[in-house]
Amino acid sequence: MTRSRVAIALLAVVLAIVVQTTIFSPGRIQPLGVAPALVTLVVVLVAPYLEPEYHLLLGFTAGILLDLVGSGTLGIWAMTMTGVAYIAMRIRMRFAQNALVAVAVVFALTVLGQLMFVLLSTLFGQNTIAEPALLSKILLPALWNMILALPLIWLFKTVFKPSDRVWAT
Amino acid sequence: MIPSSDSRFDRVTIIFLVLVAFGFIVATFDVRSDEDGVANVMREGTQSILTPLQKGVNWVANPVVGFIDGVSNIAGLRDENDRLRAQLTEAEAQVRETLALEEKVAALELISGLTVSKDLTTVTARIYSSGPTAFDNVRYIDKGAKDGVVAGQAVVDEDGLVGRVELVSANDARIRLITDPVVSVGVRVQTTNETGIVSGRGGGPLQLEMFRAKQPVYEGALVVTDGSRFPPGIVVGNVVTTEKAEVGFVLRTDVDPAAQLSKIDFVKVILGWSPVDATVDQDDTVVSNTSSSSRSTTTTTLDDGGDG
Repeated sequence: MTRSRVAIALLAVVLAIVVQTTIFSPGRIQPLGVAPALVTLVVVLVAPYLEPEYHLLLGFTAGILLDLVGSGTLGIWAMTMTGVAYIAMRIRMRFAQNALVAVAVVFALTVLGQLMFVLLSTLFGQNTIAEPALLSKILLPALWNMILALPLIWLFKTVFKPSDRVWAT
Repeated sequence: MIPSSDSRFDRVTIIFLVLVAFGFIVATFDVRSDEDGVANVMREGTQSILTPLQKGVNWVANPVVGFIDGVSNIAGLRDENDRLRAQLTEAEAQVRETLALEEKVAALELISGLTVSKDLTTVTARIYSSGPTAFDNVRYIDKGAKDGVVAGQAVVDEDGLVGRVELVSANDARIRLITDPVVSVGVRVQTTNETGIVSGRGGGPLQLEMFRAKQPVYEGALVVTDGSRFPPGIVVGNVVTTEKAEVGFVLRTDVDPAAQLSKIDFVKVILGWSPVDATVDQDDTVVSNTSSSSRSTTTTTLDDGGDG
């Protein structure tokens, strides 16, 4: 059962990256010029359904994939998404039963993830902190993630089934 | 049932710390490695796996996205129409101005000693995907090594310079946009004929730096490539703010990219050009006789274009 859940979660991450880089790419659907951070959304929302260790590895893998497809230094999104996964895993009991709390957590963790990335990439010499429209690049993906969170919560509940939820901690 | 165990959490925290440390090491290696490092091999591999998926999603989603785009823009179409009419009138005036400018550019090229082949080979490519986050300034195109694309080539659209080719696989290539902070382009301000470097900032206007500027640059002045790394004369953008050169200081101002980087669908990769194609027009004897002027000008230009 664990393997199938991990496989589904990994598939969701890959799908999120593909959709992010095609449908939500510049010139396509980008409300107010910034797209949602789908990978962060998936990593946060699958937290209640995976063993903590697998969830951390999923976060790291998702981050490495983002690094490989993106233009930044390899490893920065990996660290960021591992951090997001860790926090999501620690607080998952608080948001797993309540969709509204989950939406708020999605917003907070997306902002935190974007902030962590900005700080880490600046630390590695990319000067991301000086980019124009930085605030909108941090806040807008979090806002779009909030909107997309509800259908995705429902989707994951359906795919993973409530009885499959793992309360490992 | 919510079992809890401190040791379990400790183990998870240890795994977390190990992964973060691993990420840190990977990042350090990537920063230190050269362009042909393992990271780029991994990037090419990942992209070759994702490309069929991305093209498939595009194939399915393009009509839907186009429809949504059309519906969401319908209200703004009337305004857009009026705006385009005004632009057309303006463009007609600009065409007349451009013809005059072309003569001037030809004269300037003659002065600077550069001649460029007029029939540069290009290949048209479609952008099928982008970087995954708002902080990425890359696009993926559906033309690669099989079509003659190699790393470092200039990528343009109908408005001007878009970026340069960064990674190439057999059928696809990754281009880094001029807005990326690691990209620098050697440029020439057309009104003054002085050279400088334009660098990206991750979005928005580019930064123009001129180290030996003697004349001010004025708002609206056209900035074109200087022929150091990319073919000369490709439009990069227009100066946003008038700036004066202070003695002993670098002239810095903003340049608005000419290419609509957030809306590009098709681009052209310039295949048939390398910096050696920009030849000194005079024969050796003449150059040596005028070495302090024409030769030094050419050499300076080539150095300035240290493309990142």
